[in-house]
Amino acid sequence: MPSYLLKRLLTMGITLIGVSLLVFMMLHLIPGDPVRYILGDFATPESIAELESRLGLDKPLPMQYLHYMAGVIQGDLGTSYVTGYAVMEEIANRFPITAQLAVYSILFGSVFGILIGIIAAMKQNTILDQLVMVISLIGISAPSFWIALFLILLFAYHLGFFPISGYKGFYSLILPSITLGLGTAGNIARMTRSSMLEVIKQDYIRTAQAKGANLYRLIFQHSLQNAMIPVTTLIGLQFGALMAGAVVTETVFALPGMGSLIVSAIATRDIPTVQGLILFMAFLFIVVNLLVDLIYTKLDPRIRYE
Amino acid sequence: MKKRTRHWLVPALVLSLLFSACTPASQENPEPGNELSKGEIVVAVVSEPDSLDVHKTSSIGEATEHLYATLFERSENGEIVPGLVKDYQVADGGKEITFNLKENAVFHSGKPINAEAVKKSFERFLEKSPFKTNAGSISNIEVLGEYSFKVTWSEPYAPFFSNATSAYLAPLDVSTLDEQGEGFDKNASAGGQLQLTEVKRGDSVVYKPFEKADWGAKGTPGFSKVTFRFIPDDETRILEFKKGSVNVLLDVPFQYIEELEKEPGVELERVSDYVMNYLGWNNKLPIFQDVRVRHAIALAVDREPIIQTALRGAAKPVFGPLPDVVNGHNPAIEEKARKKYAQDKEKAKQLLAEAGWKETNGEGIVMKDGKPFSVEMWVQNEPVMQRVAQILQHQLREVGIDVRITVKESAAIIEQTPKGGHQMILWSYGWFDADILYFLLFGKGKSTRLHYEVDELDAMLQKGRIEMDPDARYKIYEEAQDFLVEQSPWVPLFVRESVTATRGLKNFKKHPISNRIIWDDVEVVE
Repeated sequence: MPSYLLKRLLTMGITLIGVSLLVFMMLHLIPGDPVRYILGDFATPESIAELESRLGLDKPLPMQYLHYMAGVIQGDLGTSYVTGYAVMEEIANRFPITAQLAVYSILFGSVFGILIGIIAAMKQNTILDQLVMVISLIGISAPSFWIALFLILLFAYHLGFFPISGYKGFYSLILPSITLGLGTAGNIARMTRSSMLEVIKQDYIRTAQAKGANLYRLIFQHSLQNAMIPVTTLIGLQFGALMAGAVVTETVFALPGMGSLIVSAIATRDIPTVQGLILFMAFLFIVVNLLVDLIYTKLDPRIRYE
Repeated sequence: MKKRTRHWLVPALVLSLLFSACTPASQENPEPGNELSKGEIVVAVVSEPDSLDVHKTSSIGEATEHLYATLFERSENGEIVPGLVKDYQVADGGKEITFNLKENAVFHSGKPINAEAVKKSFERFLEKSPFKTNAGSISNIEVLGEYSFKVTWSEPYAPFFSNATSAYLAPLDVSTLDEQGEGFDKNASAGGQLQLTEVKRGDSVVYKPFEKADWGAKGTPGFSKVTFRFIPDDETRILEFKKGSVNVLLDVPFQYIEELEKEPGVELERVSDYVMNYLGWNNKLPIFQDVRVRHAIALAVDREPIIQTALRGAAKPVFGPLPDVVNGHNPAIEEKARKKYAQDKEKAKQLLAEAGWKETNGEGIVMKDGKPFSVEMWVQNEPVMQRVAQILQHQLREVGIDVRITVKESAAIIEQTPKGGHQMILWSYGWFDADILYFLLFGKGKSTRLHYEVDELDAMLQKGRIEMDPDARYKIYEEAQDFLVEQSPWVPLFVRESVTATRGLKNFKKHPISNRIIWDDVEVVE
């Protein structure tokens, strides 16, 4: 296990370098000049040159990249061109909200998705099964802004159960978490259903059934654990989709998280902020998937990492 | 089962509790109802300012500007009147101006706004601000007394007074900044009616009324707190307002105006904006160098359907170079342009034909030397402007000009237009002074969008910058605008109507020129 972990940490480092290089190149290739944005209509050739020099944008791109990475290694993700805040400070301010949103969404998506997935599997080819499949399809295919507005209208505006927007503690994250978690729930439900269907056809399930095991025991003790491996993989991969979904969800719900920050940073060509946020999100994604791989060993003791 | 569930549920819950503990939630409105606290005004705005420090930004909005008291102000009929400056004397043909400050003004920190403080703020402004070119070529600032200072320019700069009505040139309290002269957002002190109490990045900026500022007839503020909340999504903003958790809704989207008009207890305040929306093009391209072609484009445009369809009537047509709230606007020029460029498709076709552009292939597109009149129009990714572009596309097609619309991010347009990478563009400009014709539109080396640089025009606009006599200056800009109407290097289209919805407030008013909220007499109705 330790050598496996070491190997994974090494590949994590290489992946992050790759991500940073890719993001750096993309940000410098897309049209839009941060200096002209900052100076706005008052830009003069002199002020453009002065600001470029101050921000280090007059240096060759490889130099800029190396300078940036030297900072990253020391834990410095740079300073926002537009707001003047340290990117680490911005992430520290906004990460807790996005993290809560991601955790609640995963919780909602997993619990709800697994539950309806089990129901669909146990009631295969019935109306209930069809209904679950339709719900999961809606969850996957409906755009998150549409779901968000629907939930806001019904539960916040008309019924007044939740605030419409803004961050005001746990209450204010319920609707965004459902919005974000519905797609995850849909995917997990479909995966759980097919995994469960596969597992319940196995001989040992028939044996357990013959021995008189009750339904609860049959599902949760004998079937679900084995069906969970592909579902766990999916949960790990969904984390990436959640990060992307947070961009829209945080904007609609006016949540001050990393998603809404990245939207404004891209619009203003705030290169250090975009780079820092994407690098941080990539780091989280890799860590979550490493944890998922480690969870496999708990779910199936036959899995060993050497 | 219980044990296994704990494997992943428990860490997830612990994690979320941990993150939740790291996040400061609102102390006052923890419940879902979103009720406002007593005396509180919540203003919904679309976007967060880059910085509250005016020396570090090129864009100032409602969430920033009330923090500052300006050197001069604009009266409701557009005259420049004293702000922090009590009076001033101009010497050496405008190269030297001695300013005398009012003696009772103080910063939020309690320190006096005196000559020394203003000088320090000016020095920081000249060092850091992207706006610094709009203070003129200042060569020296000298403190003459406790409340008197002299500014020397290397050449006279007439737009200074107009520009000094903006918060860009307003003094801030440098003494509260850290050793590097930074940290304004964390310890903001200026002289405006609103005093900063809290910044929640990405969420809101909270102010309280500054008791020592000038207030209206009653002499005291009629509210206890102002929160500017940043809500980027139109629908969410509208719902917050309709539910009552926001009581000032700035820039109501056009499609909601009618709905809000019917809403009980809602009042709508309409102010004409100073930002001109125009159809422009790269005048350096050979296709646009024939004045007959430019006239033809101007004659092809009908502003009414644009305003009625794309903007639901919430805009005003403009034909001349400057909207009516801008210093230098000339009603006679506007009238002349209105008559000259009222839509006339037949005349437009005739002018195109005279310029050699004729419809020869039966497809409705005019051709010259075997090439069709086909151009690309860049428009930013804003739905309203995209609708405007579609209407213009149709109108130009009717006179034989083929327009292909390309939607681009504004950052891309800002970068690429100075390089002349565009053909046509739907864009806007806005400033309170006619000097904008020089520094943004037609000055030598400044014409970054229209690329129209003509010696005769440049000379007039340069003269307008240094002419200190207001009447003579007005005359110069009359000539310059007349030249522009004749040459038509772009087509002015409209200024939007800025609509603000309010609820539960008394005496709410917006400045008819600057479009700023006038806080003087605003009262919260409990």
